[in-house]
Amino acid sequence: MANTASLIICEHCDSVYHKVELAKHQKALCQRCGAVLQRYNGLNIQQRLALSVTAAVFWIFANFYPVMSISLKGLHNSATLWDSVLALSTGPITFIAGVAAISIIIAPLFQLVLLIWVLCFALASKRSPAFKTCMRWLETLRPWSMLEVCLLGAMVAVFKLAGLLDVLPGIGLIALAILSLLIIRIAGRDIRDLWDTLP
Amino acid sequence: MTPDTPEGTPSPGQPAVKARRFSVSLVWIVPIVAVLIGISLVVNNLMGQGPTIEVVFKTGQGLEANKTAVKYRNVVIGQVTTVDLSEDQKSVTATIKLVKQAENFTRTDSKFWVERARIGASGISGIDTLLSGDFIGADAGQAKERSKNFIGLETPPPITYGEPGKRFILHTDDLGSLGVGSPVYYRKIPVGQVVSYGLEADGNRVKLEVFVHAPNDAFVTENTRFWNVSGVDLNVGADGFNLRTESLSAMLVGGIAFRAPDYSPEDQPAEQDKNFELFDNRQTALAPPSGKAQYLQLRFDQSLRGLKVGAPVEFLGIEFGRVVSINLDFDVQQRIFPVIVGIVVYPQRLGQAHTKMLKVLNHDPDDEKSAVRMINTFVDNGLRAQARSGNLLTGQLYISLDFYPKAEKVAFDAEARPVRIPTIPGSLQQLQEQFQALVEKVNALPIDRIANNLDRNLVELHKGLQQVNTKTLPGVQGTLQELSKTLQSANSTLADDSPQREKISQTMDELNRMSRSLRELSDYLSRHPESLLLGRPKGASADSPSP
Repeated sequence: MANTASLIICEHCDSVYHKVELAKHQKALCQRCGAVLQRYNGLNIQQRLALSVTAAVFWIFANFYPVMSISLKGLHNSATLWDSVLALSTGPITFIAGVAAISIIIAPLFQLVLLIWVLCFALASKRSPAFKTCMRWLETLRPWSMLEVCLLGAMVAVFKLAGLLDVLPGIGLIALAILSLLIIRIAGRDIRDLWDTLP
Repeated sequence: MTPDTPEGTPSPGQPAVKARRFSVSLVWIVPIVAVLIGISLVVNNLMGQGPTIEVVFKTGQGLEANKTAVKYRNVVIGQVTTVDLSEDQKSVTATIKLVKQAENFTRTDSKFWVERARIGASGISGIDTLLSGDFIGADAGQAKERSKNFIGLETPPPITYGEPGKRFILHTDDLGSLGVGSPVYYRKIPVGQVVSYGLEADGNRVKLEVFVHAPNDAFVTENTRFWNVSGVDLNVGADGFNLRTESLSAMLVGGIAFRAPDYSPEDQPAEQDKNFELFDNRQTALAPPSGKAQYLQLRFDQSLRGLKVGAPVEFLGIEFGRVVSINLDFDVQQRIFPVIVGIVVYPQRLGQAHTKMLKVLNHDPDDEKSAVRMINTFVDNGLRAQARSGNLLTGQLYISLDFYPKAEKVAFDAEARPVRIPTIPGSLQQLQEQFQALVEKVNALPIDRIANNLDRNLVELHKGLQQVNTKTLPGVQGTLQELSKTLQSANSTLADDSPQREKISQTMDELNRMSRSLRELSDYLSRHPESLLLGRPKGASADSPSP
C-alpha cells in the first residue's frame, strides 16, 4: 500500500490532493467543486486540551444549574437540562426523551471524555490506548451532539415566554451557550490531524 | 574568546539550547478561569446555604418537596426539600433548607405554620395561596437557644413579624366563649386580640395571652382591670336585673375589655408580659382591690330560702364580701336545725374606712388575733348579721352586717375558728313574726259567741220587721188612701170649671163694680161737698166734673 498519509480527498467530489501547510487565515479549496478541503488549525494539542477541560467544566454547569426559571404570580419553577429530559419522559413521547438525553447530555459528554483522553496522550506524543476506536467514535458522535439546537430552543422559549411569564435565564443557559461554542471549535473535523501528528 | 583556534581569529561559539521539558501554554488560563468560576459558584452556594431545619406538621397537605417555599413577610427565606412521614406515622416531617439570612429562624421560639386560604371569625386570609399553592409561614423568635426541630402550628399566629405592642397574661377561672382572635376593647374600640390560651400547670385556672397593639398598649397600666365582655351579660341578683353587651362581634366571638379605675393616681404603663386577673364582668373588675379575705361564719336559726352562694355581703350598705357556703347543721342541745352560712369579706373594699381604722387602731392586717379582737369590739357594740330580702320580686336574700345597739348581748368566742358573728332574724322574718302575733290575737277572739249573739239579734230583728209588715203597714195604707181622697176633693174644689170658682169670680166682679161706683161717689163729693147737705144740683151731670 502506497503512502497515502500526505494525500487528502475532497468530501464532496472525491478529488485527491496533496496536503498543504496553511498559514493563518488561509484555507485550501477543492479545484473541482470549490468545497473547503482544509482550514488553518489555530489550536495546538495543548490548547485543544485546555479548551476541552474548560468545556467539561461548563458541561457540569450546564447540567447542574437551572437553564431557566419561570414564575407566575407566586408559582415558581426552574429546570435543569436533566429536569427537561425527565419532563419529556413522563409525557406521551418517552422515546423523544431518550433522543433528547443523547443529543444534549450524553453525546457532548462522550465527546469531551474521548477528547480529553486522546489529547492527554497526544500531549506526550503518544497514541492513547484504543486510539482508533476513540477517533472513530468522535467522528460518529459529532452529528449526534446537538447542543446548539438545544440552546436555540431554550432561547426561543425564553423570548416567547417572556411576554406571558417572568422568565429568568439561569447560569445553565450561559454555560450551555459557552459549551456549544467550545464543542464546535474543539470537536470539529480538524481533530483528524491527530492521525498525522501521532505516528 | 577562545585562544586555541588554529587560525588565531576568534569565532562565536554555539550556546547550549535547552528545551523546556513541559511548555505550558497560556491557554490553560481558560480552563483555570472556568474552574475558578465553578468553584466560586459552589462556594457561593455553600456560603449562601442557611441552616436546615425540620418542622413537624400534622398533615402534609399543601407541602411539596422542592416546591413549597418558606416565607417571611412574603419574602422567600427557604424551601421544603423533603416531606416525609414520621416514624410513628402520626405526623409529617418537612425538611426545610433556609437561606443564610434566615439564621434567626432557628431560634427555639420561632414559629412555622402552613399558610392556606382560611375563613374565620376574624375574616378571610390567604386568598393568594389559592393560586400560588400553600406555603410555610415563619416568624422569627427571640430566644437565645437554637434548634433544628420545630413543631408546626395548625393555625397562623394572630400576631407576627414583631408587631409593635405588648403582650399581657390574663388569669381566669374559665375561658368562657373567648378564643384566639377574640378582640380586646378599650373604651369599646378594638385595640388588640387574644393570642393564645391554655390551662395553667395545675389545671385549676386558664391562662390567656392578649396582645395590645401600639400605641394603645400605653393605656394598659399597672392598675388596669380586664374583664370578659363575651356574649350577653344578664344578671339576676339581689340588686335586680342587669343586661350589658359590648358589641355585636363580641357577642359572637367573645371579647375582653380593659380599663383602669377612674381614680388611679400615679399609674404607670404596664410592663410586657405582666399578669392580670380577668374578671367576669365590669362591675367586679372595677371594684376596689379586694385585699386580704377574711372568712366568717354566721348561724341562722331560721330558713334562708332565697340565699344563694355568691350573694353579696354588705356592711352598712356597702358591699364588701359574698356568701361562699350555706350548710344545714344540727344543734344537739336545742334539737333544732340551724343554717350555717360561710361568708368571705374583704375589709379593704371598705376603702377609706378600712385604712383609717387600721391607722387609728394601730392594727396590722396580717395579725389574725388583732383582727379577731377588733371584731369582738364590734360585736360588743352591737354588730349583728342579718339575712335581708334584697329583691322582693326575686326573693333573693343578702347578708347585711349592721350595728344594732339594742340587740341582746351575746358572748363572743374569741378562740373559735372560723370567727362567728352573732345573727339576728331577718327583716322579713321579723315582719312575719309580727304578722303571726297579730293573727294569733285575732285567733283568740270569741268569734263563735259573737256570731251566735249576732245571729240571735238578727232573728229578733226579723220578727220585729215581720210585725211591722203585717200589722202596722195596712193601717198606714188606709190612712194614705184617706189622704188621697181628701186631696182629690180639694183638687176638684179648686178646679177651673167648678161652681165654687164661678161664684167667686162673680162675687169678685160685683165687688169690682161696687168699688167703681164708690170711687165716682167720692169724686162727686169732693167736687160738690155741699151736695151732701143740699143734694144734687140741677143740670149737673153726675159725670161732668165742671163746677
